[in-house]
Amino acid sequence: MHFKDKTKMALTGYGFILPTFVFLIWFMYYPVYQALSGAFTDWDGFNAPHFIGLDNFTRMMTDEVLGQSTINALIWVAFSIVLAVLPPFVVSELIFNVKKARLQYVYRTLFVIPIVIPGIVTILLWRFLYQGDGAINQLLGMVGLDSWQQLWLGNPHIALYSIMLMGFPWVSAFNMLIFYSGLQGIPKEVIEAAKLDGATGWKRVLRLDIPLSLPQFRLIVILTLVGSLQNIIPPLVMTNGGPGYSTYVPILHMYNVSTVNGEFGYGMSIALIMFVVILAFTILNMRLVKSDT
Amino acid sequence: MKHRFASKALPILLAAIAIVATGCGSNASNNGNSASNGSGNASENNAAAANGGGNTAAPAWTGTINMYAQAYTPDAKNITGIKTDQHKLRELADEYEKAHPGIKIKFVDEEFKDYTQTVRVKAAAGELFDVYWAQWAELNGTFPKGIAEDLTEYFGKPNPYIPDKATWQEAMNGTVVNETAAPGGQHYNINGDYVATAFFYNKELFQQAGIAEAPKTWAELIDASKKLQAAGIVAMSQAPDFGWFQRHFMSDFYSKDFDTIAAFDKAPGISSLDEAVGISKGLLSTKDERFMGWWPMFKQLTDTWKKDYLTGDPGVVGANARNDFLAGKTAIFYDGSWLPNNAADAAVKFEIGSFNFPVLTAGDTPLSTGIDASGAVGGPNGAFQFAVATKEADKSMKEPGKKEAVIDWLQFVGTPEHVEQAVNENGNFVPTWPGTKPNDSMKELASQASKELKAIGVGNSSANLGKDLQRTFGLYLSGNMDLDKATANVQKALDAANKDYATKNDTDYSKY
Repeated sequence: MHFKDKTKMALTGYGFILPTFVFLIWFMYYPVYQALSGAFTDWDGFNAPHFIGLDNFTRMMTDEVLGQSTINALIWVAFSIVLAVLPPFVVSELIFNVKKARLQYVYRTLFVIPIVIPGIVTILLWRFLYQGDGAINQLLGMVGLDSWQQLWLGNPHIALYSIMLMGFPWVSAFNMLIFYSGLQGIPKEVIEAAKLDGATGWKRVLRLDIPLSLPQFRLIVILTLVGSLQNIIPPLVMTNGGPGYSTYVPILHMYNVSTVNGEFGYGMSIALIMFVVILAFTILNMRLVKSDT
Repeated sequence: MKHRFASKALPILLAAIAIVATGCGSNASNNGNSASNGSGNASENNAAAANGGGNTAAPAWTGTINMYAQAYTPDAKNITGIKTDQHKLRELADEYEKAHPGIKIKFVDEEFKDYTQTVRVKAAAGELFDVYWAQWAELNGTFPKGIAEDLTEYFGKPNPYIPDKATWQEAMNGTVVNETAAPGGQHYNINGDYVATAFFYNKELFQQAGIAEAPKTWAELIDASKKLQAAGIVAMSQAPDFGWFQRHFMSDFYSKDFDTIAAFDKAPGISSLDEAVGISKGLLSTKDERFMGWWPMFKQLTDTWKKDYLTGDPGVVGANARNDFLAGKTAIFYDGSWLPNNAADAAVKFEIGSFNFPVLTAGDTPLSTGIDASGAVGGPNGAFQFAVATKEADKSMKEPGKKEAVIDWLQFVGTPEHVEQAVNENGNFVPTWPGTKPNDSMKELASQASKELKAIGVGNSSANLGKDLQRTFGLYLSGNMDLDKATANVQKALDAANKDYATKNDTDYSKY
């Protein structure tokens, strides 16, 4: 093929991807650039921004609300990772060990069906369940546990945990399917060989399934880490960060300082730090799990 | 070699083109002058003949004026809480369009969950509505500077639709105009209605608890709440709105210092500058016993409330709390004058009465000056509050003649006759302009509007201050924080707000 033809062919190919590339830069990279540069300004969302150097970052050091938000976020991340990993893995193991393939399919379907319910509906439902006269307190009253009744979202000491623990029994269909497909990927020969060596039941789970599912664990841990740090909807809808700042998290702080207070420059600086933190956690996690495997 | 270079260079070249194209697109979008809101045609506009509206030179521009009229939106289908048979502004618009061929008035019928954010975003994109609902405190403080036209010049000129007044301002409520001015004396909106607030109560539940009459004093209010509680009835259940209740108490406690605080900026009314200076001088601060003095007193009342919403954000739990009252689950609900209409919409079966916030006495608290502060919460914060977008906030306003046309429409809407018609048709508010009369159903609450507007409170000097104080307030009232800790938190929030105000407005407090 001549150079001219090759060039023509390459140009045609690049011509096809050019529009995507333009939109990618326009809608993905340009906003990121704006956020990065905006973090060093006092932009109010309307008037021309002024460069203020590191003032926003200095302010972050003394921002008590951000401090408490960060502690809340760390608690949230830790709980989220446990809840995102343990229940789905246990359920996937149970389903994987069901003998009949058809029954496996039925159970899988049963756990996946709730995925069609929009997240916001679940959150609003749990807001009602958590009310003072909601179903949880009523249930506790019915079984004689009146002293356990709480203002689940009104008590600053438990509100954060109430939000984190909503969604019982915490079996994320997505995570469960990832674990299940991981288990399916274990070669039958390996399972048979393990059986012959006496690795059955819990022994098999601990010594075979978990080590061979580490890529799935890694993926879910990373996704949960990123997702929980970015998850603004539950605290925003359920408590708007209250009581006090007990359910405030950095992403909610970023949202409020930007859109409510009009301090977009400061909001962008919080976003920038969050980006760096998430990136660092992700790299660390990938390295740790990789070295384990 | 050449070929290899070409194959490597091509993607780079195309990427560069894409980046340049992106940049160009971005610039084009920034610099573009196309009207995304209005649909006026500049060349057409220039050629358009004067079309005889009003009594002065008519606007030469033709096109569509977009208006977001909030509670006054006519024929609203998408905005909850608005009567569907509300047509007055549409009728006025039809009349205006008839007199001004080529100009169309379009009302925005959309629900905005977070209106402040909507305004910010639309203004940043240059797509704000030509005329939009905005309250004076937001225009003077919360919203970014430069999103609303300064109407002061027009206030000082005749309004062609009010021939018997020398200036437009003469037709308006003088107190409201003075007290809602920005720190620099600017007026960014026309302000035609007044919202009253009161305690609304369920008469049936009061009877069940053996309460014959609505409370008139603070002691009677506490007593009635305790009686309801003893009868197994939830007295009240709502998020205690700090911004509202502080104004009742502080307007009373600080009434003798009102003139001092209002005079810091040498303009009438308490502006955000007055507030900031008052804080810096320790007057509006925890150093003054009056500032926190009402918290324990108010807690006496909230101790009789159901605890569910005490720590809640009024914006988050407000609708639930209102629904509890309308469902007959709670006996008393403190709300705005729109509540009777909400109740009618909800077809409530029980009879609703109302009583004003009581006048406090020295017997209730030695901090009281005994003034009637029942009207301190509502005031000129209703919905007939309209601003005009600047050309920066609304690109279509760059069209020659459009600004004048939009102001002309605002002048047409802003006459005492039209204010009264629109406000009374809506039924939730009280018209405030001289010569206007409220609906019969609003007469009791309208008495608040006739009182001198001397409301004192904090929360306007920094966007976050009110929200910060609300959080501490909720924790204190719910028993999760003692008064000392709450006082320390409040002072910290006030100091932060003051620092924020000084930084943003380049203010030197020592000058005052």
